[in-house]
Formats: sequence, structure tokens, C-alpha cells
Amino acid sequence: MKKIRLLFPLLLLSGCSNITVLNPKSTTGKDQAFLIWLGFGIMFLVLAVVFFLLVKIIITYRYKKEREHDPTHYLNDKQKRHLQLAWTIIPIILLVILAIPALWISYHQSPVAEAESRHEGVHIHVSAKQFQWTFTYDTDKTEENLLILPEGESIILHLSTEDVIHSFWVPELAGKVDLIPNKPIVYEIKEPEKGVYKGKCAEYCGIQHANMTFTVKVVSKEEYENYINN
Amino acid sequence: MNNAETALFKDKQLGFLIYLGVEAIMFMVLFITYFIYTPASSGPQPSDIFNWKTVVLASVFLLSSSGTIFMADRYLKKDNGKATIIWLLITLLLGLAFLGVEINEFASYIQAGYTTRTNVFMGAFYVLVGLHAAHVAFGCGWLTIILIHFKRKIPYTLFLEKQKIFSYYWHFVDLVWIVILVIVYIPYL
Amino acid sequence: MHIPLFGKTIFLTIDLVIAWSLLIILLSTAIIYVVRKHKYPVIWEYIRTTNHRKIGTLYMIFGFLFFLRAGLDALLIRMQLALPNNNFMVYQLEKYNETFTSHGTMMIFFAAMPLLLGLMNIAVPLQIGARDLAFPFLNALSLWLFVAGGVMFGSAFFLDSSPAVGWTGYAPYSTVQYTPGAATNFYVFGIQIAGFGTLLTALNMIVTIIRNRAPGMKLMRMPLFPWAALITSFLILIAFTVLAIALYLLMFDRLFGTTFFSGEDGDPVYWQHLFWFFGHPEVYILALPAFGLFSDIISTFSRKKVFGYPAMVVSLLMIGVLGFMVWVHHMFTVGLGPIINTFFAVTTMVIAIPTGLKVFNWLFTMRGGKIVFTVPMLFAIGFIPSFVMGGVTGVMLSLTAADFQFHDTHFVVAHFHYVILASTILGIFAGLYYWYPKITGFKLNETLGKWHFWLFLAGYHMTFLPMHITGLQGMPRRVYTYGSDEGITALNFTSTVGAFLMGISIIVFIINIVRTTRHAQPAGNDPWNGRTLEWSVASPSPEDSFTPMPLVERTDAYWYAKKHNENMKVAENPRHAPIAKDTLLPFLMALAIFVTGFGLIYQSYWIAAISGATIFVLFIVRSFNDERESVYGRGDVK
Repeated sequence: MKKIRLLFPLLLLSGCSNITVLNPKSTTGKDQAFLIWLGFGIMFLVLAVVFFLLVKIIITYRYKKEREHDPTHYLNDKQKRHLQLAWTIIPIILLVILAIPALWISYHQSPVAEAESRHEGVHIHVSAKQFQWTFTYDTDKTEENLLILPEGESIILHLSTEDVIHSFWVPELAGKVDLIPNKPIVYEIKEPEKGVYKGKCAEYCGIQHANMTFTVKVVSKEEYENYINN
Repeated sequence: MNNAETALFKDKQLGFLIYLGVEAIMFMVLFITYFIYTPASSGPQPSDIFNWKTVVLASVFLLSSSGTIFMADRYLKKDNGKATIIWLLITLLLGLAFLGVEINEFASYIQAGYTTRTNVFMGAFYVLVGLHAAHVAFGCGWLTIILIHFKRKIPYTLFLEKQKIFSYYWHFVDLVWIVILVIVYIPYL
Repeated sequence: MHIPLFGKTIFLTIDLVIAWSLLIILLSTAIIYVVRKHKYPVIWEYIRTTNHRKIGTLYMIFGFLFFLRAGLDALLIRMQLALPNNNFMVYQLEKYNETFTSHGTMMIFFAAMPLLLGLMNIAVPLQIGARDLAFPFLNALSLWLFVAGGVMFGSAFFLDSSPAVGWTGYAPYSTVQYTPGAATNFYVFGIQIAGFGTLLTALNMIVTIIRNRAPGMKLMRMPLFPWAALITSFLILIAFTVLAIALYLLMFDRLFGTTFFSGEDGDPVYWQHLFWFFGHPEVYILALPAFGLFSDIISTFSRKKVFGYPAMVVSLLMIGVLGFMVWVHHMFTVGLGPIINTFFAVTTMVIAIPTGLKVFNWLFTMRGGKIVFTVPMLFAIGFIPSFVMGGVTGVMLSLTAADFQFHDTHFVVAHFHYVILASTILGIFAGLYYWYPKITGFKLNETLGKWHFWLFLAGYHMTFLPMHITGLQGMPRRVYTYGSDEGITALNFTSTVGAFLMGISIIVFIINIVRTTRHAQPAGNDPWNGRTLEWSVASPSPEDSFTPMPLVERTDAYWYAKKHNENMKVAENPRHAPIAKDTLLPFLMALAIFVTGFGLIYQSYWIAAISGATIFVLFIVRSFNDERESVYGRGDVK
């Protein structure tokens, strides 16, 4: 019974299927959500073990008058060594399980400096300043605080800032990437799905930081072509 | 030194060596800073402004002062007060001469219009070499106080302690200068 | 509010009016109290003291005052965030930014740090059999430097120039181009001055632990709190030094026109490297002392020695070393490239291993023991699961691609509050309840203590558990508002209620202290049936502690002696104690540095120059008033 109750928060969280980041609308976001779930799952296991041991130990070994003269129970050195080895090695195994997919995905998703980028896809320049976003397309079409993306394509964002550091974030589509002065960065969002999403600045940048938002519309490829050519 | 004095001196010695470790980290970060920001993309370059005569002169003054304070240490151990004081005075003069050269160097840059605002190389130069010069200036003040203590005839063991701690400091400041030579000046002379 | 003054009108926001009124009322009450009760001798004594317990007590008092101030900031933040599109008093936009900056900076530098340093000051010498810290004068100077830095930073708000750059002070926003004026200077100088104090304390602590242990107290016989203090001190020496230089460079950028962190050749990411090279070890600087403290408390109240003592020491060391190899995990999104990101993801995960080992060793210290649920032990037991919850989200954050989503959201806010509150704040409370008899001679009330604990624990989880979800829901940190359509209203409201529960628990704690001061009976030397040396001296600890000097022959020597109904053996010819002499100089030096700082903040360089010269004059005065002059030069006298 106790164990079932321990699972409760897990059920609760998976029940909250409307959590933004865990319901991504792009391949990039889905990889990230997978990692979050994997990390959460393995870590929940660890948490459950610790909770269980803690509760059991403090119930079993709490001080009672009748235990006053019981001898204190010590483990011998060999048992101690084995136990400590166990909780050194088991976490290592768990971390390795976690690390392999994590490093694989992270390696391919890490934003890079502009010179190192060799990606093919739809290129869009994102420029930020206090407290406004400007998006420039291949056709030199420019729009403020509204980003139109074609669905299903690889979106290559070239990010730069005119003043302080900002951070580009559309929770539904993918994680953040910072905009650093004098250092253009390239970040790729793969295969976004149709929809309207809210984007935000995620790096504190000044007085109107909270209101530095923009709208993202993912539309069909035809609509996108129409949009950038008009 | 008796047991009590030895124990207290060792406390101070360890504490001061740790403090010098802290200083070493400080200078290390400043060396890294200088290394990253030099040369700058515009404005004066190190090879334009450094003058090897100044650098050699400054180095001769400061590095030889490490030798003179070593002599002072030796005579102090032999309980030769007069020789100690003479060597300490020479050390002080060499330190002041070094400071003179440095101030002259900085003044010539500022006259040429090269201040902290000029470019990022000048900024990195001033925060590093300036901090070192401040250390030498502080050391000269400290040495003056030590000389006064000698005149005041404080307990011999206490003077020995103060003198030793100071000589660690002075050697350290010299060592930093050598690294400054290697990283700041020599590649650009 | 508009106030006419000398023919001009000054505009003051309502929060400033309230704060000034409160300050004036509190200060005048304090002054009246001091005058009425003739408390000058106590103040005079404490201003001049160099005794480790008294200095520790001052650290605790000032640290607690700053804790209250920063806690109040937290409540104001939570009030503003309680409802969507809220307009609580003036706490929107700039005021909100100022509030979260003050909250973060003060909690880290002026509350958590001094409270831990205070506990170290009080307990470490007593636990290792030292009669004082190695350099009592320096210790007093450290204290007053911290107070100077704290008061300086705290006064920024009252002068209506609170910094608003976040506790991380990211460039180029923190450079003079984007935040001109005095406000950000308060951040630079406040932390710089307090940081020097912290550095000197760390140095003092290391020398004390290495050179001043009781005879026979080998390093591997020390309790774990001094061990943690030793390793923490080394971390401080490296981390705070790097911070000092980072602030030094930022000062030049702000005051003297260099461009290290902005402009064509400047590099804002260099600031991040320097800051996080300090910032991440800082987390361990806050956590390790708590680890040590909980090890001692868990062992004491389980009436059992620490499980796997050598492994506990090694894991402390490993966490300390690894702490310097993970800083880039704060910077995964700045585009350093996949290889660097991957490397730092791995090092970050590795830290979980020694930390996990500690958790299980704590659990197995309790296993087989006789667990007494005193208030310090309750805090220790509350710490374990809470800390593990923060720890596991830490591992989740190390997964770089997942971190792109977590980064700079309320998920991260939840993570670091879980870690720091569980270890540092619960640790500080546990330590305070545990050592309160050694500080004052009285034991804090257990019933009120339990109320304090449960209210705090409930409030803490209620505040920060929902933040994991608001973060994943897309709420960035450092925003003053959110929309009602974002689905995070209920969660945010829960957080706010939780924050107020914590506030109430602090009130219970204050009541406890007041009641104990008025009504309690003396607690005696050994109220907890302790295991370590501090319980063998009187409560409160006397200035000439450890006369005679005990001879330590094993770990938990005092417990062993009690169990065998023996007195501890006495060591012959212990080393000379550090020389403590009351002096006003440290206070004056800090005062001069305080004035110099103000001169630099407002760029009135002549004030800075005069008070700066005063500092050197005071150095000279100090040199001619060396307490060693009275001890040295007695030939072979012991």
C-alpha cells in the first residue's frame, strides 16, 4: 500500500498531460521531452528508494524506553564496504543509462557559433534588442515580434542581439538559446507542427523583460512561401 | 624562539603563505584576462608602446631587491643589526626606484593618450601591471614600518617574525614580476 | 508620495516611505532600549571582541537580520506573483527587478554565508579543542568587513538605488551603458567588501584546523563539521578570489571606462565564466558545512558513530574538487559548442555519485541506532528527502538538451531553492538549535521548535514543488507577471501561500528565542548527550576554553569517556593559545573601508581617497599595537 502511495506523484504528473514542455510540437522538442521523462523516471526511482529507506529506518529505530539498554547494532567492516560499494556502483550504472541518450541528443542539439554551422534548411535571422524581436527571412522580408515558420522543415535560426544578452524561447517548439553580443549563434528546430505558439525572452534583460514576447505561427509551406514573398 | 613563539610564528607563516596563494590566484586570473584580450582589434598594440629599456631597468631594480632582502635575512639570523638595516634600506631604495620607473612608464602612456579607456588591451595592461605596482608601493610602506620597528627595539623574536613575513611578500611580488615579464612584455618587445 | 523638502519636492514610492518609517521606528526603539537598560557595556564589549564565540554570535545576529530583510523581499515577490496580471503595490517592472536582485544577493552573500560562518566560528574551535581561531584580530576584521558589505548593499534600497541586475550581474547589462548610476555599484562594492571578509575567515579557519587541534586530535579523528569547514574554506579561497577579480574587472568597466565585458572587443561570456567559476563552487560552499553539521547531528541523536567515516571525508573532498569542474552547466545555452557542453554534462553527473554516497551513509548512520526526535534531529531528517529531491532535479538539469528547456525557468528556481534551503537553511536552523546552549547557555524550547520545523517544512515544499511545473509550463524566472491563460495561476497561488507559511515559521522561531531568553533554565554543559569535545566545556563556552587541555585518543573521545565513566585525559604542555586582545581597530578599519566604498559608488573620489588613506593609517596603528609584543621576547619561558 505504501508503495502505491509513493507512485502517486508520478501518476499525478503524467495525468497533467497538458504541461507545455512535455507536449512539444516539433521533433527537437520531442527529443527534449523524451530526455526530461527519462531523467524524471530514473530519478524518481532513486527518490523512491531514499524515501522508503528513510521511513522504514526512522520507524524501526526510533528511541523507545524499552530499547534504552539494547546494544547498538553495528554492521561489520565487510558489510559496510559492500554496502558503500553498492551505492557507489548502482548510481554509476543508472547515470550511464541516462547519459548515453542524453549525450547523443545533446551533442546534436547544442547551439554552435555561426562559422561552424553546416546545416541545410530554412534560414531565418533573429535579432533582438531591448525589448523587441525582429525576424528577417531569405527574401529580406522583415517582421517584428511575429515569426512565421513552415511546418515540417528544418528551421535554422541565426541569432544575434543589438544590445544585452537575450534568450530565444518557444516552449512548445524547443529549448532556449541565448543571443550574445558580437557572437552570432545558430540553433536548429526540426520539423515544427502547425499551430500558434507564444515565444518569450528567457534571459533577464532589463525593465520590460517579462513583456518581451513574440508570436510564432507554424503554417503550411505554401502559406510560408506566400508570406515571405509579400 | 621559544616554543610559544615558534607555534605562533608557524601559525602566521602558514596563514601568510595561504594568503599569498590567494594573491597568486588573483594574478593568475588577471594574466588569463590579459592573455585573452591582447592584442586588441584596434588602437595601440603592445609592440607599439612597450620600450625594452624601461622593462630592463624596472626588472633590474626589482629583481635585485630580492637579493638584497635575502642578504638582510642572512645578517638578521647572524644577529648583525647594522648590516641588516643597511640591506633593508637598499631594498627599500630599489623598490622605490622600481616604482619610479613604473610611474614614469604609466605617465608616458597617459601622455600619449593611452588610458584605460583606449582599448581592451590597455585596460588589461593597467589592471594587471597597475595592481602589481600597487603591491610594490604597499611593500615599500610596509618595509618602512619594519625599519621603524627596528628602531623601536621590539622583542628580537617578534622583529624576526615580521621581517620573515615581509620577505615572503617581497619575494612573491618579485615572482609575479617575472611572470609579468614573460606574459606581458617579452612576447611583444 | 511627494514630500516637500527645502522648497523642492521629492518623489518617494510608497514602499520607501514604509521602509524608512519602519527603520526609524526600529532604530529608535533599539536606542531607547539600550539607553534605558544601560546596555552600553555589552555593545562596547562586542564591538571590541576578538573571541570566536562572540564573533560567531555577531555573525548570526547580523546574518539573521539580513535573512529577515531578504525573506521580506521573497514575500513581496510572491505577493506580486500570487495572481496573473497582478499589480501588488509597486512591485512591477523595475521595482520587481530590484526586489529579486536584492533577495538573491542578500540571501546568498549576507544571510546564508554569514550564518554558516557564524556556526563555524562558534563550533569548529570547540569541536577540535582549539582555544580560539588562529588569528583573533583577523577574525574580528572579517566579521566587520561582512557587516560593512551587508549594510552597504542593504542601504542601496533606502537610497532608492537598489541594483536590478540579478544576483548574477550578467554583463553587458551590468555595465555602465545599460545600468548607469550608483545602483549596480552597490552590487559590485557590497559583495567585494563582504567577499574579502569571507576570504580572510576561510584562511583563518584553515590555519586553525591545521595548527590548533587538541593534542591527539588527528585529522581523521575530527568530527565531520570541522572537516566540512576545512574543505569549504579551501573552496572559498579559490572561488571568492576569482569572484573578487571578476568584480574588480567589472568595477573598472563601470568606473574607469575599460571594456572587458562589453563593446567591440569585450566578451560578456567571460563574465559568465568568471562568475560561474565562483558561482558553482559557492553552492558547495553553502552545502558542505551543512553536510558536516548534519553528519554530527544525525550521529549524536542516533547515538551511533557516523557510518563510513572515511568515505564521508573522501566524498566531501570529491564534491569539493568536482565543484570546480562543472561551472559551464550554467551556460549550456550560450553556444560554447557540443563538445564543451557534453564534457560538462558528464562532470555534473559525476557529482551525483559522492553526494548519493553521503545520503545513504546518513541513512545507515541512523539504521541500528536509537533515534531521538529532538528539534535539530527533525531538521536533519527533514533535510534528507528534501535535499534528495533537489539533487535529482540537479541530475535532470545536467542533461544538456533537457536543460535547454529547464534553463532560466521556474524549474531551475525550484531546483536551487530545494538544494539550498534543504542543506543550508535547514542546516543553519539545525545548528542553531543544536549549539544554542553553547552560544547562550540556554536550550531553545522544543515544542515551539517543532512548530517551527513543521511549518517551515510544509511551507517550503508548498512553495517550491509547484514551481517545477510552472517552469515546465513555460514560466521564465525573473518575470513579474504572467497571463491568466497560461494555466499556472493555481500553482503560483499555492507557492505564495507556502511562502507565507515559511514566514510564519520564522515568527515562531523569533518567539522561541525571545521566550528562551526570558524564561529558560540553564542548559548545562551537555544537554544533548553529545559525542564531541564542545560538550565537555561550559555553556556558554568560556573565553579560556579547554583549560586543562584534553588529550584525544579516538573519534568521539568525549562520548567514549562518558560511556566508561572516566574523565578525559589531560594533555601536558599544550601549545600556546592564539592571543586574543579586545580592540576597536577591526571595527574602525571596516568603517573606513565602508566609507571608501561609498566614495567609489558615488564616484566622489576625494572621499574615497581620504578614507582609503585612513585604512592605511589604521594598518600602521595596528602594526604598533601588535598583541604579540606582550608575549614575545621572554627567552625560553614556556
